[in-house]
Amino acid sequence: MSSEQAARGVINLSESDSSLVNEIKELGGEELMECIQCAKCAAACPMVLAGFPFFNKRIIQAIFLGLRDALLDDSSIWACQSCNRCTEVCPREVNPFEIIQAMRRVAIREFALPTLSIEGLKSLYDTGHAVYLAGAGNTRVKVGLPEKPPSTVANPDALKELQAVIRKTALADLGIIPMDEPGV
Amino acid sequence: MPRIGVYICHCGENIAGAVNVEEVRKYAENLPGVVVARNYLFMCSDPGQELIKQDIRNGLIDRVVVAACTPRTHEPIFRKTVEDGGLNKYLLEMANIRDQDSWPHWHDKEGATEKAKKLVASAVAKAAFLEPLEDRFVEVTRASLVVGGGVAGMFAALDLANMGYKVYLVEKSPSLGGNMAKLDKTFPTNDCSACILTPIMVQVGTHPNIELLTYSEVESVEGSIGNFKVKVRKKQTYIDWDKCTGCGDCVNACPAKVPNEFNEGMDNRKAIYIEFPQAVPKRAVVDIEHCLSCAKRTIGTQPRIHSKTGEPILAPCEKACKTGACDRSREYNPEGEIVELNVGTIIVATGYKVMDKAPFKEYSPQSPNVITAMQLERILSATGPTEGHFHRPSDGEKPETIAFISCVGSRDKRYHTYCSKVCCMYMLKEARLIKEKYPETNIYIFFIDVRTGGKDFEEYYNYCRNLGIKMLRGRVGAVDELPGDRLRVRAYDVDLGAPVELEADLVVLATAIEPAPDLDELGRKLGITCGSEGFLKEMHTKLYPVETPVKGIYIAGCAQGPKDIPESVSQARAASSAAAVPLTLGKVIVEPLISEVNQRKCTGCGTCVQLCPYSAISLVEDKGRSRSKIDEAMCAGCGVCAAACPSGVITLHGFTNAQIHAQIKALAC
Repeated sequence: MSSEQAARGVINLSESDSSLVNEIKELGGEELMECIQCAKCAAACPMVLAGFPFFNKRIIQAIFLGLRDALLDDSSIWACQSCNRCTEVCPREVNPFEIIQAMRRVAIREFALPTLSIEGLKSLYDTGHAVYLAGAGNTRVKVGLPEKPPSTVANPDALKELQAVIRKTALADLGIIPMDEPGV
Repeated sequence: MPRIGVYICHCGENIAGAVNVEEVRKYAENLPGVVVARNYLFMCSDPGQELIKQDIRNGLIDRVVVAACTPRTHEPIFRKTVEDGGLNKYLLEMANIRDQDSWPHWHDKEGATEKAKKLVASAVAKAAFLEPLEDRFVEVTRASLVVGGGVAGMFAALDLANMGYKVYLVEKSPSLGGNMAKLDKTFPTNDCSACILTPIMVQVGTHPNIELLTYSEVESVEGSIGNFKVKVRKKQTYIDWDKCTGCGDCVNACPAKVPNEFNEGMDNRKAIYIEFPQAVPKRAVVDIEHCLSCAKRTIGTQPRIHSKTGEPILAPCEKACKTGACDRSREYNPEGEIVELNVGTIIVATGYKVMDKAPFKEYSPQSPNVITAMQLERILSATGPTEGHFHRPSDGEKPETIAFISCVGSRDKRYHTYCSKVCCMYMLKEARLIKEKYPETNIYIFFIDVRTGGKDFEEYYNYCRNLGIKMLRGRVGAVDELPGDRLRVRAYDVDLGAPVELEADLVVLATAIEPAPDLDELGRKLGITCGSEGFLKEMHTKLYPVETPVKGIYIAGCAQGPKDIPESVSQARAASSAAAVPLTLGKVIVEPLISEVNQRKCTGCGTCVQLCPYSAISLVEDKGRSRSKIDEAMCAGCGVCAAACPSGVITLHGFTNAQIHAQIKALAC
């Protein structure tokens, strides 16, 4: 999208990228083409209520039209709360949630991801949790729980195994987060 | 003193929802002459009819008034009830308290109930004067006329011919085939149109029971069911069709260039031409308006003699003709020839016309690369101007990006408010044909709603989307011409909630399906009417979809409204089976509700003769005096003569002066 058109808000279909549809299908959005834009998913989506410009139905339409840049320039795809209501209500078995996930994969391949996501990925690699509250130990003890949860956090060997697995995923090729040394 | 029974129908909630039926029943009970008044939920159902029959059988009543819905659909039903009960079936009167009362006055229950009382009182007053009448029968001419030689007309004709009846098939073009002959492939199975249509054309052309009258038009229609007299004008072809073999030598010799209608004006034909290569009959015609009269060989003149050779100087077409079919000395006769046909029934299947792109200034119709969907059919067709090669008109380049625009002239108050019904599917079909052949082509379809109601249609739609054809909800606002024969398409994608634009090489407009030209005029000749949208009106949308208000005349195909090929064929075959019923019976009942002259009192003024729209009245000599005489078979019972007779000596049976006066008087009370 040229800057002039972006300013006018007009989307130029002639500059669209028709390879996006296949890319989404390959990255987990297999049922993409089943969508007939009925908008039932949008009626169930909290992103719509929160006012994001792109939400399940619109993300799918943008993919149909190959509007890769428009989707990557916007933070909407990262706002999905993974509530899965769209997938539950979709009468065409499109699985809109998976399509949003697939679109996130497309974005990550192009390093178009928010800082917050990098932190989440790093935390996943370092602790085994995308969200880990390191300072929660005292609170846990107060309510009678062990200081560390019985997960990778408490089990360094399991963490090493997890890190080994992550190093074999596409994440390692992308090099978004440092993976050289074991964490914690 | 007549004993009248009144039967009031609730019509479920249709009547009872607005009219207090019990109140009307009590009121009716006290009307003069009424001996019994009953009400029932559905009077036309078996138990309802039984109420009436029982009262007749018990000797309780000898006149029947049914207050219910419209006599248009239900009078025949209740007449049969009365007859089955044992009375003359014309001793029935209906009060239409649904269409004329409960429906229009739905929100005024009190007023509706009062009006129902008046309508019932009026019908009762008339019923007192009803008299028994006897049905007449007329012999049926066992032949049928089909107007229109497209796919609907051909199937209607074939079915009747296969039943053993003589069929006259009138087609205004030189060849059979209609619009379907122009199509490349047909949804939802993508059969090649020519492959399924041309064998049917051959069957029709060679059927021993079918007499083909192509290049002909209906001039006038007289008579009624069983005996229509039809005048058909055979337009002058200026070629002896008995001698013409369709070889095309004259066509090759002709130097004139005329926009080719068959290819939607995208190339030229000659002034002497064969409509298309697979034409049936394959015969040449001379388009006299565009004929250049080469070698000063005006039609109808003798050739000049060459001063040196002594040979006659002939036009190129004449010289080329090996059989003598093309002979310009033949008589010049722009009026053509009138053929008179006698038929028992008529089927009208005159098809449709595709709307032109010219009115849509916002879509740059002046650009050769903005075309109608029918023009695209011709471009895709192997018999079209590009012989099936996918070229855009401006420069012959293969289009890389195409935009289809739906609902052009349909669902549009400026042109046609109806949905043309077939456009969604044919756009998908055309897009699919292109995408399958040239997968790299970018195709966008701009639509308002995708309407794919039909067997296997939704599956077809999904298949097309899976091919990568892009669908955008939103009417295109503008198509602008850009340098390099490019077109800019501007729209608003409703699903995206954003304005979009696109540079395209070709823009295809799905222009509306319109009634065939002069359909209203043909309707007038036949006595059948067109609806507000211009298509012929059927008798009843659901129950009598191929019948018309004129008995013996039936309709099929797009003459009745936009429809696709499967529907047109279904309707054609329904029409042929309806049209065969009178032919099979050999005689038809004619209602005795016709006019009769009291000849003894007729002064022979002739007023009625001039007014009769059916030419059923003539003046005859009787004992030295002129008196009017009404032909029973031709009288349609319209009543114009009875109303106009200055001596008041014409009676319209079923609507006598006494009956009508009583009816009016009751309304005034």
